[in-house]
Amino acid sequence: MQPFEMSLTEAARAVRAKELSPVELTESVLDRIGAVEERLQAYVTVASAAARRTAALAEREIAAGRSRGPLHGIPMALKDLIDAQGMPTTASSRVRADHLADGDSAVAARLSEAGAVLLGKTHTHEFAYGLTTPQTNNAWDHSRIAGGSSGGSAVAVAAGEATFALGTDTGGSIRVPAALNGVVGLKPTYGLVPRHGVTSLSWSLDHVGPVTRTVEDAALVLDALVGHDPRDPASSPFEAKGRLGSELSRDDSDLTGLRVGVPRNYYFERISPEVDTAVRRAIGTLQRLGAEIVEVEIPLTRYVQAIHWGLMVPEATAYHEQTLRSVPELYAPDVRLLLEAGELVLAGDYLRAQRARTMMRDAWTRMFRQVDVIAAPAVPMTATKSGQEAVEWADGTVEAVSDSYVRLSAPANITGVPALTLPVGHDYAGMPIGMQLMGRPLYEAAVLRVGRAYELAGDDAGRLAPIAA
Amino acid sequence: MNTGRLTPQEAARWALRAGLPLSDDRHEVVAGTAEHIQSVIATLRELDFGDTAPAAVYATGQEHVNAAV
Repeated sequence: MQPFEMSLTEAARAVRAKELSPVELTESVLDRIGAVEERLQAYVTVASAAARRTAALAEREIAAGRSRGPLHGIPMALKDLIDAQGMPTTASSRVRADHLADGDSAVAARLSEAGAVLLGKTHTHEFAYGLTTPQTNNAWDHSRIAGGSSGGSAVAVAAGEATFALGTDTGGSIRVPAALNGVVGLKPTYGLVPRHGVTSLSWSLDHVGPVTRTVEDAALVLDALVGHDPRDPASSPFEAKGRLGSELSRDDSDLTGLRVGVPRNYYFERISPEVDTAVRRAIGTLQRLGAEIVEVEIPLTRYVQAIHWGLMVPEATAYHEQTLRSVPELYAPDVRLLLEAGELVLAGDYLRAQRARTMMRDAWTRMFRQVDVIAAPAVPMTATKSGQEAVEWADGTVEAVSDSYVRLSAPANITGVPALTLPVGHDYAGMPIGMQLMGRPLYEAAVLRVGRAYELAGDDAGRLAPIAA
Repeated sequence: MNTGRLTPQEAARWALRAGLPLSDDRHEVVAGTAEHIQSVIATLRELDFGDTAPAAVYATGQEHVNAAV
């Protein structure tokens, strides 16, 4: 196994055992970037020289017995909405051509403190306002979409171009590309990971979280990111419940006593038969591991898209108010149009969305009295061909591809509950399928435990996308 | 609820009132997209909100602050 193929957990163990140095690992990942990046286009910027310096520093610290923990010396990438001092945060937009971050975002600072090695910045759908990331190609089939908006982060992790990465998620932007590229993505509880220094799409829905090869890896990264930061007004004063990070048991696959909710409505409607089969098979695995399966009714589903758009559309337009007036021609056509149309949303409609969000949060709180975790598809279908705009379902309805990818993700953004996606198989074309696990607010430990148990029951967790070097 | 279809001229006027002058070639596409957005969001007008407050200040997990792990 080459170092770039190692999961974060494997690499951290090898570094700790002094079988692998941070410099060797970073060089291996940089070589991998050199071999596959031209075909994938995951990165906006690769900061090779700075990465080598950070890796060398980590190597000296570890040799001197000053380990900073499991992320020390591990090469990673940041979605290019996340500020890293001295680097541009382009948001993959011409609007940001002259940008330079004058400080670290909260999460970049925390990863730096943990000793992680920043490789570079990964592509996003422009300003995170879209679900495809058109600059980037799917790691498994370059003619298909990467998914978005954290498409660069998911492709980089799936292809071995980063050992882990961070993304942002406003309507599925971590989970969608993670599912479409066969990696793990975690949208934490709203407010658990501070967003200071992260370009906003929609303040009331934005989250930052890890994209990794395994659930175990996601737990390690999350552990380094959590904690209150008063510079983010939505930052939660509460701590995550239960065990995160290295305290998550590596070998506990017994789910006895855990109640897994399986939706009887919404999440299994208008999905591809292959996604249905793979996710139900994975739920069967959870049952064999001891979980009690409980059928649940998802509340207020008729209003998911209305609440999501009612919050996101006017908030995004508000964020871009100045540049939409000064340099509208620099936005991509799809993003410019959404921002312009957002000017026409009425305050009364925005308030209805805010009030309906309260109703949905309360209804989900009641639903979670019956179950500990909900298991469902992450996305209705695997990665579409690039350029495909709509999908026709078996019931005859036609849906925009972007609406389809958001549909099963948005409830967790509205309610703020933690949501994890992990790979649970492939379709007939060999494209990855993701299962979504959602838990009560602040109970990341529960979704991570279930996801980890599923991984332990199989034998291919952490597998890279099959790309010839 | 049918609130009447938004015309390109109305879209231009509404945008201007919001402080965004639109060039002539933007009126029709913005009207179409705004109409679609409105058709989705208008679903919320079916709901009886009673005394429900907006979730603008949103603090996830408050109810679990003392919960046992």
